[in-house]
Amino acid sequence: MMGPDVVWYLCVSAFLFCTGALGVLIRRSPLIVLLSLEIMLNGANLALIAFSRYHGNGDGQIFALAVMAVAAAEVVVGLGLIVAMARRRLDLDVDRLRTLRG
Amino acid sequence: MIPAAWICLFSPLAAALVITLWGTRLSRRGAGYIATLSVGVSFVAALVTFALLLGDKPDDRSHYSTAWRWLTAGSFHAGLRILVDPLSVFMMLIVAGVGCLIVAYSIGYMDGDDEERRYFAYMALFVFSMLLLVQSGNLLLLLAGWGLVGLSSYLLIGHWHERPTAVAAAKKAFVMNAFGDATMALALFLLIQRTGSLDFEVVFPAAGSFGGWAANLVALGLLGGAVAKSAQLPLQTWLPDAMEGPTPVSALIHAATMVTAGVYLIVRTHALFEAAPRVLELSAGLGALTLLLAGLIALVQVDIKRVIAYSTMSQIGYMFLAAGIGAYANAMFHLMTHAFFKALLFMAAGIVIHALAAEQDMRKMGGLRSFLPWTYVAFGVGALSLAGIPPFSGFFSKDSILAAALANNGWYGDLLWVAGLIGTFLTGLYTFRMLFMVFWGEPSAFVREHFHPLERDVPGLALGVPVAVLAVLSAVGGFLQFAGVWTPVSNWLEPVAPSLVDASGVQEAVSSVLGVLLGAAGIGVAWWIYAARRASAPRTLPVLVHKFYFDELYDALFYRPAVWLAHALLRWIEQPLVFGSLREIADGVRGLGTETRRIQTGLVRTYVLAIAASLAVVMVVFVVVR
Repeated sequence: MMGPDVVWYLCVSAFLFCTGALGVLIRRSPLIVLLSLEIMLNGANLALIAFSRYHGNGDGQIFALAVMAVAAAEVVVGLGLIVAMARRRLDLDVDRLRTLRG
Repeated sequence: MIPAAWICLFSPLAAALVITLWGTRLSRRGAGYIATLSVGVSFVAALVTFALLLGDKPDDRSHYSTAWRWLTAGSFHAGLRILVDPLSVFMMLIVAGVGCLIVAYSIGYMDGDDEERRYFAYMALFVFSMLLLVQSGNLLLLLAGWGLVGLSSYLLIGHWHERPTAVAAAKKAFVMNAFGDATMALALFLLIQRTGSLDFEVVFPAAGSFGGWAANLVALGLLGGAVAKSAQLPLQTWLPDAMEGPTPVSALIHAATMVTAGVYLIVRTHALFEAAPRVLELSAGLGALTLLLAGLIALVQVDIKRVIAYSTMSQIGYMFLAAGIGAYANAMFHLMTHAFFKALLFMAAGIVIHALAAEQDMRKMGGLRSFLPWTYVAFGVGALSLAGIPPFSGFFSKDSILAAALANNGWYGDLLWVAGLIGTFLTGLYTFRMLFMVFWGEPSAFVREHFHPLERDVPGLALGVPVAVLAVLSAVGGFLQFAGVWTPVSNWLEPVAPSLVDASGVQEAVSSVLGVLLGAAGIGVAWWIYAARRASAPRTLPVLVHKFYFDELYDALFYRPAVWLAHALLRWIEQPLVFGSLREIADGVRGLGTETRRIQTGLVRTYVLAIAASLAVVMVVFVVVR
């Protein structure tokens, strides 16, 4: 049971990561930005698991599980923020939320 | 006798602490009583010490007592250590005795002053400082007492601190004295370097082995301290200004404490001075010069206290002259009689000032003889004593100094003798000019308007009784020693400070006759001009009114250059360099901040891009460098 080479997995992982990064950079809705962040994390997870299998030890898989747990927590906070913004009738547009400008 | 000496030393300090700590719970007059009592206790303790010391053999009268080791630095040790010997007991008796009378007098003079308690605490501190100075068993403690005396005089001269002139006078006295303290401290450093100790019994025997320049420097440093404290040339300008303080303070400074410290220092450290004979001669010369200049300036002063102040400078000049030619006992004897009659003169003048609503200008006085007959008698005794008219005390002490100057071989001694004789003429003239201006003639309109007599209550008695006691002492105090016949003072001090000159009977007689004649001539001239008014008073010379331009000279030499330098530094260093650089730094930081602000867009995407881009750069670098 050999399946495809590790390079294929890494290519998919890099593609996912770049898609996510592009989404974070160019989308303006905070919800989509959060979604893109999740895609980036999953790209990283895929790379971790691919290397774990390639090297034949389980550390990478443990890492992936930890990343998923953190991602879940992060989504809770992020979605909570977005709901709070919606309830205060703020613009749901990251380019307009620039009160931290110097 | 040692416990008595310690009690004598610390009793006034205890009073100062008690008055300070009890504060307003103590009545104002209560503070005066406590201070008087404490100094009185000191005087009794000094008497006990004296009586016990009399029981010892003359050669065995030096007793040291160390309370604890006070300061240790390497191999150098200095203890809280007192010395009881004939010289220190002599000074203890004068300081505590005259001091007690002056503090008692203050109860009357300062009655009703707003800050009586503070005043009496300072007075007690002053007496303590002087006692510490004369009782210390090593030079370090002596320097501590020296500095404390300067501090107390600063506090008391500036007692009326709402007067700007009083504050300025206090500052002047302090700065002048600090100069002397500094030269003295330098001399002590040199002594430590040479002998490794400041104890009297180590330092004095080693004085001969210092070698020329070291001995001269040590003696010069000590002389600098003595000159500053005793208001001799060229550091004399603080003393007349110190008249801004209350009159009893002037009496205390001039009679019992402070200015006599310089004479005491020379006599105490005579071994160090004898190792540097040129410096000893210098001190005699300074004394002679001071007694002449001060006598001349006193001729034109119109403030009654300033005349007495200049006469103090002049009389201390006599003591320096005597100490400088090695007639130590004569100097100390004159110090004692001077303490009596100068305290008397100040306190009698204080009664006059008190009775005339704080007026000190002699031109407004006159005819007070009939208003204040007893004060007139007391003032007259003091004046006759100061002028050296027999049988009053000044005659005995001053003429023996003149005889000692004549006995000092060589032209230098003769010169000093002539200066001293001219000084007696001036003394008679200025003293009786003052007496005639104040007490003789017709009462002026000012006197008639402002005079109010002393009451027979506590303040009045406090003013009167000490003056009466001092008048008696001034009248008979001189009989303690009659040169050539009866010399207990010289015998008493001989083991501590053996005299270097010995006047013969002829020299004593010649000096006495000439001194008395010249003093009487001075009185006669004063009578001719100021009492009989047969001649109009000569025009006052500007050089005398300006006190030989010493203030102006120091102003031009030190004050103006210092101010000019400060202005120049402000203009050329402070403003462009310090302020300028600070302003530049602040501007630079602000400019940098303005630039940095532009990076903070607040747009999340730019931050993400920056992070991604820098990550990419780091990765590329990582890969390439690998």
